[in-house]
Parts: sequence; C-alpha cells; structure tokens
Amino acid sequence: MSRRTLVVGEVRQGHLADVSLEAAGRAIELTEPTAVVGFVAGSGAEAAAGEFARVGIADVRWTDAGSGSDASAGRIAPTVAALAREIEADLVIVGGTTFGRDLAGALAIRWDAVSATGVTDVRREAGAIHVRRPVFGGRATETRRLAGPRVVLALRPHAFAVPSVTPTTVRTSGFAFVEPAPSWREAKLLALEPAAAGGGPALADASIVVSGGRGVRAPENFRLVEELAASLGAAVGASRAVTDAGWRPGTFQVGQTGKAVSPQLYIAVGISGAIQHLVGMVSSRVIVAINSDPSAPIFRVADYGIVGDLFQIVPALTAEIRRVRGP
Amino acid sequence: MEIVVCVKPVPEAETRLRVAADGARLDAEGVKFVLAGYDESAVEQALLLKEAVAGSTVHAIALGPAPRTEEVLRAAVALGCDKASWIEVPSGGSDDPLDAARILAAAIRGLPHDLVLCGKQAGDDESGLVAGALAEALGVPGFGYVVDLRWDAARSRFTFHRAVESGQESWECPGPIVIGLQQAWNDPRTAKLPAILKSRKATITKIAASGAAASVATPEKFELPAPRTGAKMIEYRTPQEAAEKLVRILREDAKVFP
Ligand SMILES: Cc1cc2nc3c(=O)[nH]c(=O)nc-3n(C[C@H](O)[C@H](O)[C@H](O)COP(=O)(O)OP(=O)(O)OC[C@H]3O[C@@H](n4cnc5c(N)ncnc54)[C@H](O)[C@@H]3O)c2cc1C
Ligand SMILES: Nc1ncnc2c1ncn2[C@@H]1O[C@H](COP(=O)(O)O)[C@@H](O)[C@H]1O
Repeated sequence: MSRRTLVVGEVRQGHLADVSLEAAGRAIELTEPTAVVGFVAGSGAEAAAGEFARVGIADVRWTDAGSGSDASAGRIAPTVAALAREIEADLVIVGGTTFGRDLAGALAIRWDAVSATGVTDVRREAGAIHVRRPVFGGRATETRRLAGPRVVLALRPHAFAVPSVTPTTVRTSGFAFVEPAPSWREAKLLALEPAAAGGGPALADASIVVSGGRGVRAPENFRLVEELAASLGAAVGASRAVTDAGWRPGTFQVGQTGKAVSPQLYIAVGISGAIQHLVGMVSSRVIVAINSDPSAPIFRVADYGIVGDLFQIVPALTAEIRRVRGP
Repeated sequence: MEIVVCVKPVPEAETRLRVAADGARLDAEGVKFVLAGYDESAVEQALLLKEAVAGSTVHAIALGPAPRTEEVLRAAVALGCDKASWIEVPSGGSDDPLDAARILAAAIRGLPHDLVLCGKQAGDDESGLVAGALAEALGVPGFGYVVDLRWDAARSRFTFHRAVESGQESWECPGPIVIGLQQAWNDPRTAKLPAILKSRKATITKIAASGAAASVATPEKFELPAPRTGAKMIEYRTPQEAAEKLVRILREDAKVFP
C-alpha cells in the first residue's frame, strides 16, 4: 500500500520558490501524483498554495503560522509533523535551503524520522529510500539507505528540474497551526533585507555564479565581474581576499568560511584556487577559470581555462555573451 | 552566560580521501581528525561572547570514538574553552547525525545552557541537521546559517543575522537557543603553545551515551569523483577569440546556457 508524500513549500515574494517545485516534481516521481500533498505556511501562504497546480499537485494545505507572521522552520515544524501524521505520510520532501535544512532537523525529531539533506539523487527500492549526496565539500559522494517508516529529505537546490506536467485544479484548505515550544514566542524576526540584485545570498541558489578574486586589484574594478554576471543572469561571488579587503560584503564570499555553491556553471575570475575557496565551489558542474598565472591551482579543478589578463578577457567575454544572447 | 559548544572531529581539510574496503564509507585509517571548519568558528564565537559577557563559561562537548574525540576536545580547551565533556561511542558505530543530535540533547539537558552553538554543518557529512534537531529536542528556538551573533546585555537577548535565499534576516531572541553558526565576528584564533601543553592535562569529563534509537540510516556507497584531469586550456590570439571559443564550448559542449 502506498502511503502519502508531503511536500513542504517555501513562499518567496508571494510565490512558491523554484526549489519547492523541484521537490514537488521529485515527490510525484516517487509516489503517484494523487498521493502527494502540498503544504505552505506564513503570510501569503493561501495564495501561493494554488501554485502547486503547476506541477500537478491537487491537494494543498496551508496555514498562516498563527499570530506571529514568520514561518521560520523551527516554528512550523510541529505543524508539519501534525499534518504528516494526519495524512499518514511516510515521506516529507523539502527544498534544501536555509529553511529546508532547518526544517529537516527539527521535523526529524518531532516526527521521529530519519533524514538526509543535500540530496542529489533519490530512488525508492524494496521499501527503503536510497539517497545520493555530496559530502566533504563535494570531494566525495555517499549513498545511504534510509529505512522508514518515516523519512525527511531536503534536496540540493537545482539538482532536480522543475517538472513540466499538465497543471491540475487545486483544492486548497487551511490547516490549524500547532504552537511550537513557548520560548518561540519571544523569538522575533526584526527585518529581512532583500538580497542585492545579482549578488548576496541568492548565491547559494543560483544556477550560474561568477566570482572575482584579488586579481581584480581594486573595488571599482569588481564591476567587470558584475557585468559578466549580469550578461549571464548569474549571481556574483567573491574570494575571501575580496571580502576581507572590504571590496564586497561578506555575504558574497564563497568557500569554507563563506557559502558553498554548486551551480551548473562557476566562473572564477582572478582567483588563485586556495583549498578554502575550492571546498565551496568544487562540486559545480562546469568550472571555468580566468587567470594570468598558468600554474594557478584553480586550473587543476577547472574544466576550461583561459590564461590571460582578466582586464582584457572579461570585457571581451561579456560582449560576446551579450552578442549571442541578445541584450 | 553558560555556553555549550558542540564540536565534531572531522578529517583535516588536506586529507586525501580513500574508500574503505567495504566501499560504503571513508577509510579512516591514518586520517588525522581535527577541530575544523564551522566548528572552529563556533568555538571562536563562544569565546568572543565569553569575553564580552563577564562571568561566562564555555563548555565544549563532543560525541565520538577515541582517540580523535578526546583530541578535538583538548584542542577546544587549548583555544580557551573552560570545560570539556566527552560522550564516548565505539568507532564504526552509527554515523547518523540525528543519532548524534539525540544523544547530544540528552547530555545537554543535564548541563546549564543559555546558548548551544553548533557549526552550520559538519565538514564531513555536511548534513546541517544537528542544530535544528537539538533545538527541537531541547524545546527551544533554533536557527541555522547564523552570522554575527551578539548579546544585547541591556535587553537580555541575543541578536543575530542569518542568510536566507531571499536576503538576510535579523533576529532577536532570549536564551536558551541553539545556533548553527556560519561565521563568527572574527577569524578563528589559533592556540598558543603553553595553552596546548596545558590542555594535555585538562580534565575531560566522560558522559554516558543515552537517548538514541537504533539507526535506520545505513551507508551503502562512498565514491570519489574521477580525478579532474586539469582544465582544457583555450588557445587564442586575441581576447575576442578567447571569448568566442569559450562561449561556443559553453553552449555546444557543456550546454550550460542556450
Ligand atoms: C581558516 C581559513 C578560512 C578561509 N576561508 C576562505 C573562504 O571561505 N573563501 C575563500 O575564498 N578563501 C578563504 N580563505 C583564504 C584562502 O586561503 C585564500 O587566501 C583566498 O581564497 C585567496 O583569494 P584570491 O584567490 O582572490 O587571492 P590570491 O590568492 O591572491 O589570488 C589572486 C589571483 O589572481 C590572479 N591575477 C592577478 N592579476 C590578474 C589579472 N590581471 N588577470 C587575471 N588573473 C590575475 C593571480 O594569478 C592569482 O592567482 C581562508 C583561509 C583560512 C586560513
Ligand atoms: N558527533 C558530534 N559531536 C559533537 N558535535 C557534533 C557532532 N556531530 C555534529 N555536531 C555538531 O553539529 C554541527 C552540524 O553537524 P551536521 O548536522 O552533522 O552537519 C557540527 O558542526 C557540530 O557543531
């Protein structure tokens, strides 16, 4: 007998995030569409709930997350657990963002489940879920068998495509918010400062990242990197040499003490490739390095390299991309 | 302020990873385990708060086998942690982070704690599950991906930022809380030789493991990527030619954009 799968969605700027649609797509492949239930919480949840229709999920529950308007993972974990019990789910899937990872840990305890995060592949076989996930900063991959009866998965953002299926008609219904531990009452979300266009925290989520290093030499030259990123619709990253020098804020930093990214394409401009930088980006699918030093270690992990002066190469590259992609 | 910081022994960043004979896990033979990555930042953050708030105590706690776990606890003491507790478990046992979280929670429940600090994710399994799980198990608010954690003494609450996909959140919350730390205010300090020598004689308190169910997560396969053979270098005479060649490759061979 097939049990149900619950997809916990995330609302961003009033819409269901792409990672949530990716999670929904995975859920449908692991279960029949009719056995998948969607869920969203927080302000705008009711409107966003309807967007599950895009990926063929017809049964969606939502909650406004009680009196407080924030739907941070720890606050809504008890509600998700209650819903999972009510619909008799054996699997909960979520996009592996800040929200998704925080939720996975809290939900696994609340719902007494086993969990894996950063999942890049998943199959159901002989009553168990098998997941593949990068470990050691992308330097290795592990496969784990998660025997039920309850499993929580947080998928690596963009490891799976948003499915293209025939939209259905959605039936949305409210679900009662379950209060978290009383001490949550004093936890206050004061502000959300939106990500700077093209850079900042959107990094972890981007499918193309262009990062600049000390090779750009001065803060004003960093716009070369930003223009290249803009031509590709990419997020902007930086090495720690750049963030330490204050050329760009710390939120841009990629690496061991910054963000780990794994986009489809990573372009490193004037970055030497220190191990602490590499652990943050080596699991990118395709890596391009532009560096004037042919012996720079970045070329050992790159797929394609251009040895040259970034001040000449980068503007030419930006112009060529604009030419082929149109303005 | 009573600060508990959770540290996990992980292989040194430079370790050449090898697959164990069973093909399912890392071959730990000869691997050097250290206090590293986000846990180093968590210890740094604990010490910064201790320096900022008079009368604070930092208690390092670790779960794992001998001798590596004792070694990372001594490293934490050498950096300035006041106390260290070790939950010894046999090597080759469960490596499920949720088992670790359940056992750590059972131990931390018995310790004074206004703040429990974890790394955002461990340098080996990178699961990022433990902080959220600990918070739920302790019945207190928990937050991952935190940067810039401060104590607002006038208002008796923590203030911090955290990175989310759509931007940066600012929060305030009184203790006790659990934090998965991405970055401290400062770079992690290094231990001085006299402190390292002294840490060798420090008392490490043993705590018995309790609280974990039989794990249902079993490792099946551990794989290393085919070694990258080095970049395919693009030959060119002019920057324009380099750009054209790269764009053609990215569209036609690598297919990363249309
Ligand atoms: C505990 C710890 C944690 C760290 N965490 C991180 C981290 O998270 N992220 C991170 O990035 N670093 C981190 N670092 C720092 C890391 O070790 C390196 O110092 C840093 O990554 C170097 O940055 P870079 O490559 O920009 O600078 P450099 O190493 O100085 O390299 C600059 C590169 O630019 C090239 N170049 C110069 N001029 C040109 C030109 N005109 N055209 C083309 N190329 C040019 C040079 O050949 C050189 O390869 C950490 C270090 C420590 C100790
Ligand atoms: N065995 C352990 N002992 C102590 N702390 C741990 C252990 N495992 C995980 N942690 C803490 O939890 C954080 C996140 O680990 P993980 O969820 O496994 O990625 C680590 O950075 C540590 O702070």
